[in-house]
Amino acid sequence: MNNILELKNINKIYGSTIKTQVLNNINLSFESGSFNSIIGQSGSGKSTLLNIMGTLDKPSSGEVIINGINIARMTKNRLSEIRNKSIGFVFQFHYLLPEFTALENVLLPYRIENGAVTKEMREKAVEYMRLVGLEKVINNNSTKMSGGQQQRTAIARALINNPQIILADEPTGNLDSNSTETIYNLLRDINERYGTTFIIITHDRHIAEKADRIIEITDGKINLDIKKQ
Amino acid sequence: MKLSFSIALRFLRSNVLQTIIIILGIGIGVSVQIFIGSLIQGLQNSLVNSTIGNSSQITITASADNELLEDYTTLMQKAIDGGDSIINISPVLDNPAFLESGGASQSVVVRGFDRQKAEGIYKFSEYITEGAFPMNNGEVMLGTAIKDKYGLKIDDTISLITADKRTVVCRVSGFFDFKVAALNGSWCVTTIASAQEIFSIGDKVSAIEMQVASSEIFNADIIAENLRERLDNQGLRITDWKGQNEQLLSGLQGQSISSLMIQVFVMISVVLGIASVLAITVMQKSRQIGILKAMGIKSRQASLIFLSEGLMLGVFGALAGIAIGIGLSASFTAFALNPDGTPVIALYINSSFIMVSGLIAVLACLIAAMIPARRSSKLDPIDIIRNN
Repeated sequence: MNNILELKNINKIYGSTIKTQVLNNINLSFESGSFNSIIGQSGSGKSTLLNIMGTLDKPSSGEVIINGINIARMTKNRLSEIRNKSIGFVFQFHYLLPEFTALENVLLPYRIENGAVTKEMREKAVEYMRLVGLEKVINNNSTKMSGGQQQRTAIARALINNPQIILADEPTGNLDSNSTETIYNLLRDINERYGTTFIIITHDRHIAEKADRIIEITDGKINLDIKKQ
Repeated sequence: MKLSFSIALRFLRSNVLQTIIIILGIGIGVSVQIFIGSLIQGLQNSLVNSTIGNSSQITITASADNELLEDYTTLMQKAIDGGDSIINISPVLDNPAFLESGGASQSVVVRGFDRQKAEGIYKFSEYITEGAFPMNNGEVMLGTAIKDKYGLKIDDTISLITADKRTVVCRVSGFFDFKVAALNGSWCVTTIASAQEIFSIGDKVSAIEMQVASSEIFNADIIAENLRERLDNQGLRITDWKGQNEQLLSGLQGQSISSLMIQVFVMISVVLGIASVLAITVMQKSRQIGILKAMGIKSRQASLIFLSEGLMLGVFGALAGIAIGIGLSASFTAFALNPDGTPVIALYINSSFIMVSGLIAVLACLIAAMIPARRSSKLDPIDIIRNN
């Protein structure tokens, strides 16, 4: 299978006077349609890695190649377009906009690119909400939803533009074990149904073990990289 | 653009109380601007009106004293042909005389007017208290001061003694009250033909009087200058009210400048207020902006959110300000009254001034919104994501 995302010799150093190397010569590639997990202790650099993969952060050195294109020389606007069209984010703290309803939040990435929402698109958003089991609360304000509901809404939002990659940073980090299981199954289902590539950061080994590939980061280096056969 | 606008609208609606307070803040600034502006303009108008509203603003006379204008109809036509916003033009024949009634006498100015033309300047119809404007030769209209002094009634006769000692008996056709004691006590108004007959003068007048459009009133000197060039007649003297009323003029100018200063400072404080409030809303909404940027919103769209907020706050603030400002002006004229019940300053609604004030407020809000717009455009989503 072809690689959808490649990282070559990625280093990330914070600070100018006191330098802290967070990522140390990371080389990784992810196959299209794969389901990957990244584990590691807190402070190991896994979130930084995810942010670099998602073009939100820039490496101090090294190359990020998305769909065969090096993003280093892309303008800010081009990067915004890539984030909008090719990447879906699911963050630990849901990050829904409290001023909008659940459905409106789901539609935001589409509206950023296209402005007005068509009837078909609205139906598609409702369909995604149904997929994440939230068809009954689509018009609820995001602040009036439980943590699990908010996280599932964030997943529906990440899906709306049919991205090739979904990057999830501790998507079940502050959810109970039941919700964690539901969300994991949901992500897996989407992966199988749409062929979306998943890269999920988790500290939950139980979840990580269900992925096709487990990458462990320790002190900014790849300590372990296991692919299931 | 549409998305930025709808996000801005949501941001404003998400904290209704804060939004109302900001709109009120802008509104009060605009209302003070409109109230003070209208008050000063109203005051100026009433001052200008009472001083020169019912008199000649540009006057053509012969350059030599005691000379008269001969071909005055041609002269008047030439003056109007310039298209210089001259709205009223009227010939007048002035002559001094003695008025004698019941053994007493006093000096008067006999003013011969063309009724129709002079109405534009002097508005006789508003000031005639009794009787009518003289129609025929030998008829005169007198001020109420003379009427009271000599106990005159309509149809009474008075004698006018001219400088060459001739006595002409005239019938009183009416009385006027110009609310100015000097005029009520000295003018003896008649028709031009009648004045020419009384003083045995041919078809001549002593002056041509003019008024300009009220918007051009402060350009009377320029219009007079244009007239001088156009008429280019050595034998004419053209004067304007500005040359004759320097004190009034400097008073008005002082007022205008002080009112402008107040308005400028009010506007500056409004701009600073909006800028700081909007800057705080960027802080409040930085998390949302960060999320939107992570989802791919472009910096330009992110700035547009705050420019849209500025625009909406500006428009609603300006509308609120216009309503409050007009309300303040109206209540001022309703409650600040003279002893006779008339308002101290008449209500003056200058719609173009109000529109301009509103537009300036909207513009000021947009300028104030540029600072937060810039900040939001520079906001890096990673700072929000990393720091939760």
